[in-house]
Amino acid sequence: MLLYLPFLAFSQENLNFYGSLESNSQWLQDDEELEFTAPPENFRSNNYFTFNFEYQGFTAGLQYEAYLPTPLLGYDPRLEGNEIASYYAGYKNEILDVTAGYFYEQFGSGLILRFWEDRQLGINNAMKGIRLGFRGIEHLELTALFGEQRVGFETSEGTIGGLDVNLDLSSWAGAEAYDLGLGASVVNRFQNAGEFENVPASVTAFSGRVNFNFANFFSELEAVYKQPDVLVYNRSITNQRETFGGSAWLLNFGYAIPGFGINATLRRLENFSFYSDRLAEGNQYNRQLINYVPALTKQHDYLLNNIYVYSSQPRLLLLTSQRQAGEIGAQIDLFFSLPKKSFLGGKYGTKFEFNYSNWAGLDSKFDIPDNTYTSEFFSRGETYFREVGFSVRKRWNKEWSGIYSITDIKIDEGVTIGSPLGFYFINAGIGVIENTYRLGRGRSVRLELQHLWTKNDRGNWAGGLLEYNFSPTIGIYAADSWNYGGDPAFHYYNFGGSYSHGSARIAFNYGRQRGGLICIGGVCRYVPENTGLSVNLQLSF
Amino acid sequence: MNKWWSLIFCFVIQYGFSQAEMPQFVLKDLEGKQVDLQKISEEKTVILSLWATWCVPCINELEAITLHYEDWQNEFDLQLYAISIDDPRTVNRVRPMVRGKGWKYKVLLDTNNDLRRALGAATVPLTLVVRNNKILYKHSGYSPGSEDILYEKLLEFSR
Repeated sequence: MLLYLPFLAFSQENLNFYGSLESNSQWLQDDEELEFTAPPENFRSNNYFTFNFEYQGFTAGLQYEAYLPTPLLGYDPRLEGNEIASYYAGYKNEILDVTAGYFYEQFGSGLILRFWEDRQLGINNAMKGIRLGFRGIEHLELTALFGEQRVGFETSEGTIGGLDVNLDLSSWAGAEAYDLGLGASVVNRFQNAGEFENVPASVTAFSGRVNFNFANFFSELEAVYKQPDVLVYNRSITNQRETFGGSAWLLNFGYAIPGFGINATLRRLENFSFYSDRLAEGNQYNRQLINYVPALTKQHDYLLNNIYVYSSQPRLLLLTSQRQAGEIGAQIDLFFSLPKKSFLGGKYGTKFEFNYSNWAGLDSKFDIPDNTYTSEFFSRGETYFREVGFSVRKRWNKEWSGIYSITDIKIDEGVTIGSPLGFYFINAGIGVIENTYRLGRGRSVRLELQHLWTKNDRGNWAGGLLEYNFSPTIGIYAADSWNYGGDPAFHYYNFGGSYSHGSARIAFNYGRQRGGLICIGGVCRYVPENTGLSVNLQLSF
Repeated sequence: MNKWWSLIFCFVIQYGFSQAEMPQFVLKDLEGKQVDLQKISEEKTVILSLWATWCVPCINELEAITLHYEDWQNEFDLQLYAISIDDPRTVNRVRPMVRGKGWKYKVLLDTNNDLRRALGAATVPLTLVVRNNKILYKHSGYSPGSEDILYEKLLEFSR
């Protein structure tokens, strides 16, 4: 306690503390119907405590993580035990920004480098090293970093060095009417080749970017090239250590005015995965990812919309069992609204949303015995995923509002289960009706009705969710995803509730978890089917 | 270890229940201009709403506030900053969505979730009321009627 006193005296000055606590626990149970047997460690929990302080330009902080007695089902088993998993100290003024320790970073859109954390996915690929930001030249931002990447509670064998430059050309030219910026990055991974010959120890990727906004138009183009590296499948180098270069193209453009917005993103990836350990390529726990190549599709919130989810296919695989070179495709989003108090918009207005995405393999010819392939730049190979969606959001009156959406999907089954592509397709249609009724004084009822139609895979599903909020701080729900078209028909029921007070929130859920890929931000984690009780607690200060 | 825990506990008690300050953060808006979060609340009350294009409750909250926003701005001289935590996968949807829905909020981007981490927002939405850098109110999650409580809080803070 005495130790604490000096801090108390300090805290009256410019010293600022902040941090958070998050705890996610589960008790797994045997479920005969689901053919799920709880593992011997049937209680599991992931806990995170962060603590930071700032004093004028100085910052420091740490993150303590405890996986007790083991991490939640489906998480990286390397996260066993508890440690102060990361820490940092830094200093920042108007010109310099220096950080030593663990830090997160993103160059451009992350296509070349992104260090980030997602606790729901169990991803934390923070870099342990040094970062230097320089803002001494007007209109120019410079970032340099060097270090190793976090893997579980350890760090990667490979070291990463990176440099990122951004130049705001329009402000340099004093232009007000338009916005023009340039960016460039270089990222290098160095990892000893060990006993292997013909395996490059050093692999560098180069990226160039330009963004241009004018009036209500906006656009962005990024191109990345990655030096040749060996291909890896299940931690083994394949194709007789032949090496292959990689590339990525990303074009985004759109137009937006009040009441209307449209955006299109086109992307082409060829042999474009980048890991801090060459043997980590394609690992199921998303360890040692240097760059971020998410699936560019709409991220859905509804249960049945999350059964058939696309995950991006950046890899080059030259195997007899699996041949693919990358992906090409586009995603288009359109939003518009009819204003409130207009003839068609009604008293509260009506909002519409449309999305379309279509992703295919590269149009390629493979020569497996010779370890070569050729690919076309701009034509499509086999379709991997296609989605069309439309939704309407309408507030009918003071009490009642609704969201109505339909989605049509075609997906390669291999994408959903992570197996070779090009064998079976799943066609599905999904309809969702969500209604919220306000009962006054913070009480409300919300009902979601969902249906998924398909003749493939496990057949039709019906879904429902009923939520009752006693007040804006306390609510309960019951939900079911019923696979009535399955053989046998099956219920994935769940019920739970939550209570929040300020930034603190506690939520519990009891039920069955549908197995498969849990995807957040376009990166997926495989979760086996399970039954149990989970409790989540969060608090920040 | 016990000593550490009691230390941590003391901090949590003191700072969990006192007026915390906004951490030092500079985020970019949709035009790429830098916005210093410690400066925006110097002259007016600001509402910070951490949201994402894929988060239906977040959108529900911002839609609900839209109906009252002009009245609130007149009454309290406030500004709402809708801080998108969309990562590179969905961040391109932010601009067309905000414009297409006709929202009049200022929009900031927290693409690599640095602010989200600093504020300990395990889930979104997270709504804050900040004035003179002091965090006056925090609320996690949205259900219908949350905006009424937010209004009552704004009334309370304006006295």
